Amino acid sequence: MKKFIQFSLVLFLLLLAARASGANDTILIKNGTIVPVKGGSDMVGDLLIENGKISQLGINIPAPAGAEVIDATGKYVYPGLVAVMTAVGVTGYPQAGNDTDEVGTSTPQMDPYDALNPEDDCIEVTRVGGVTTVQTISGSRSVINGKSLVIHLGGTLAEDMIAHRYVAQIFNIGAKEQNKFPSTLPGVVSYLKTMLNQAKDYAQKQSEPAKEDSSKRDLAMEALVPVVTGKVPVIFITNNEVTIRNALALIEEYKLDGIIRAGSGILKYADRIAKSNIPVIWAGTESLPQRWQPHDLNYHTAAVLAEKGVLFTFDSGGYGPGNRNVRNITRPAAISVAHGLSETDALEALTINPAKILGIADEVGTLEKGKIANVAIWTGSPIQGRSRVETVIIKGKLIPMTSFQTRLYDKFRKIVDERMKKK
Amino acid sequence: MGKKSLTILTAIVMMAACGWAQDLALKGGTILTITKGTIENGTIVIQKGKIAAIGKDIAIPDGIKVIDVTGKFVMPGIIDSHSHIALTDVNEATDPVTPQIWMWEALDPGSDAIRTTLAGGVTTVKTMHGSANVIGGVNVTIKLKYDRPIEELIISGVRQQLKMALGENPKRVYGEKGRSPSTRMGNAFVARQAFIEAQEYKAKWDKYEKDKAAGKKDLTPPKKDLKIETLKMALEKKLSVDCHTYRAEEIVWIINFCKEFDLDLLQISHCIDGYKVADVMAKAGVFYGGWVDSWGFKEEAYDGCPYGMQIMYDAGTKMVINSDSPVVGRYLFREAAQVLKYTDIPENEALKMITLNAAESLELDGRIGSLEKGKDGDIAVFDKHPLDTTTKCLMTIIEGELFFDYAKQSVTAKGEDR
Repeated sequence: MKKFIQFSLVLFLLLLAARASGANDTILIKNGTIVPVKGGSDMVGDLLIENGKISQLGINIPAPAGAEVIDATGKYVYPGLVAVMTAVGVTGYPQAGNDTDEVGTSTPQMDPYDALNPEDDCIEVTRVGGVTTVQTISGSRSVINGKSLVIHLGGTLAEDMIAHRYVAQIFNIGAKEQNKFPSTLPGVVSYLKTMLNQAKDYAQKQSEPAKEDSSKRDLAMEALVPVVTGKVPVIFITNNEVTIRNALALIEEYKLDGIIRAGSGILKYADRIAKSNIPVIWAGTESLPQRWQPHDLNYHTAAVLAEKGVLFTFDSGGYGPGNRNVRNITRPAAISVAHGLSETDALEALTINPAKILGIADEVGTLEKGKIANVAIWTGSPIQGRSRVETVIIKGKLIPMTSFQTRLYDKFRKIVDERMKKK
Repeated sequence: MGKKSLTILTAIVMMAACGWAQDLALKGGTILTITKGTIENGTIVIQKGKIAAIGKDIAIPDGIKVIDVTGKFVMPGIIDSHSHIALTDVNEATDPVTPQIWMWEALDPGSDAIRTTLAGGVTTVKTMHGSANVIGGVNVTIKLKYDRPIEELIISGVRQQLKMALGENPKRVYGEKGRSPSTRMGNAFVARQAFIEAQEYKAKWDKYEKDKAAGKKDLTPPKKDLKIETLKMALEKKLSVDCHTYRAEEIVWIINFCKEFDLDLLQISHCIDGYKVADVMAKAGVFYGGWVDSWGFKEEAYDGCPYGMQIMYDAGTKMVINSDSPVVGRYLFREAAQVLKYTDIPENEALKMITLNAAESLELDGRIGSLEKGKDGDIAVFDKHPLDTTTKCLMTIIEGELFFDYAKQSVTAKGEDR
């Protein structure tokens, strides 16, 4: 471990030196087992990265002049993992509070871009775990929470990290209020309908010729217009059978581009969801079963979703600043593989499926020529808890394999060792 | 012949035919003994709940039920030394000092969490008072004998542990009520005050017992106080201590505090900052109890660092992996696999963190935690190596009895959901 961190540091310094001397960002990964996930089959070979993109895959690719060559013999090259429903970038500082979940039943105009912090410790911790692209959401506890965006976890300014500003709106159809309307599930449904109706009216007015009072802008309505016109998808956070049913009814009635994020109870609706091509963010792998359910019902759910042809991904088990362990998105995948999901389906659920759900499948999610070079070199399959990530490349640039956690390790390794020497 | 005697006779005949309920043999598996290496194609014979024989070429006595586990992996039942499952109540959050609370009085053997935890290969759990109080209640260590009378669950003849908690939790609980302790200074005061009272109480009782033994007449016994009585037990080392704390300075503080009052501190739970003071913990011989890779879920957990386990391992800090939840308690073996991701700690040492080390932290290493002759027949059978994260538990056996059987209980196996 110590050696590994020292090695990483030396590698990083060398890279800095290389960059300072004017080297370009051409990287050739050699002799690795390349797992494209889709669009090609696994092979032992090379992968060339130029100008931030994957430019070539093959065997014995000659190294272009000035290329950084990485020997990946015995290692596995995967596309960077893609995680949805995260708070990466807005988890805030330990003593300054977080920046998710604005107060209010409806805050569709909240945009995580306005709080995005490229120094968020969670960014480095997440990317050295092999996750290179995330959807960052503005919140999850209100009925209408706000916008969400997609960032690649490389870059020093917020605008460098942003891939897409408004990829989905987030509704929580189970977020009952206490002591005010809506305090019941039917109340939440009628509240959402009222807001969607208002947004439709607002959209209608916008499309009409300008009247005197039409200059008055409503930012909340402006955020909902693309939702009711089907231009921006909406993720429904559901946590049981009733809320799934209500979400499906709203998606159908309002012809929304709906996505279901489910914590349990999805199997009963799997056929209907598959038929309607509604994507699923399955967050319930680790949910405890009900008393009357088999112990492995939730462990096994992803396998059934795959079998029925539902487009699904995993959720890293909780959202918001309380969950900084986005890199452990691989755990529900491992549990699902143990309980019937194929390893191929599991890998797709961590890469290309979330990319499809977020509308960025032509940019990331596989190792294919022309895609953004978000690549991770692993010692084994990401599904295996023991596999390590040795190299991460984001948008064609090598990422230092350091984080706030490796710095803590270095600091206290020294302190503890020195104290032990003295004794 | 009456109906009753017929039933008894039937039972006797059945026992003769099948052997005792606590007799069982597993044959053909790869046995991970934890203490004595790996036995390929081995056999374990359990009689009357204890391991009677283990090895490569073991004769299985006649009449014993045999399960063929060829191709499967056999390990000691997993032990979770920090959990709150199977309790009807967890926190007596009405006073910062509640040592009069005994958690076995909240134990629910029919709790569904026992069923789901068994399915993760877990056989023994220390289920604990919560962390609202600086001095909480007395924990209880149980075997996961689902739905049996509580006497069968509670492990007898072992010292139980007094739960203490420092830092944010008691601060928050009592600070929000507008009372002390609302600071860590307050936490320290509350703990010290309680044990000073206990020392005084103990002195009075010791004197009374001494006088009584010396044959003095007309003695009035001191007044019994159930709160202080428990603390007196801790002073007399009839109870040990498990303290919840996240931060490095508090870890050092509780170690010093327990030295000051001569208390047996066995485990520091949620020990997020343990790696920062690994040497201090090693010297004190206290167990790190915690997660492998969990950080930042609250302010005190911000410095959680999975690489830190290497520092602790190198310093000789004893380590156990805990769940603290019914969710994680079902896959402690996957947590152990994560140790291999972040450190160079050997496989068997990672497995010890959920078996033998955990047994030692409960002072039960003479009975459980490894597969050796004479130890309890507590076993978990997996379809792949338990550190392969795509494995699953197939069987959980406690003292020779099958308490979880994947083939019968799994929806994946039965395909009933399609």
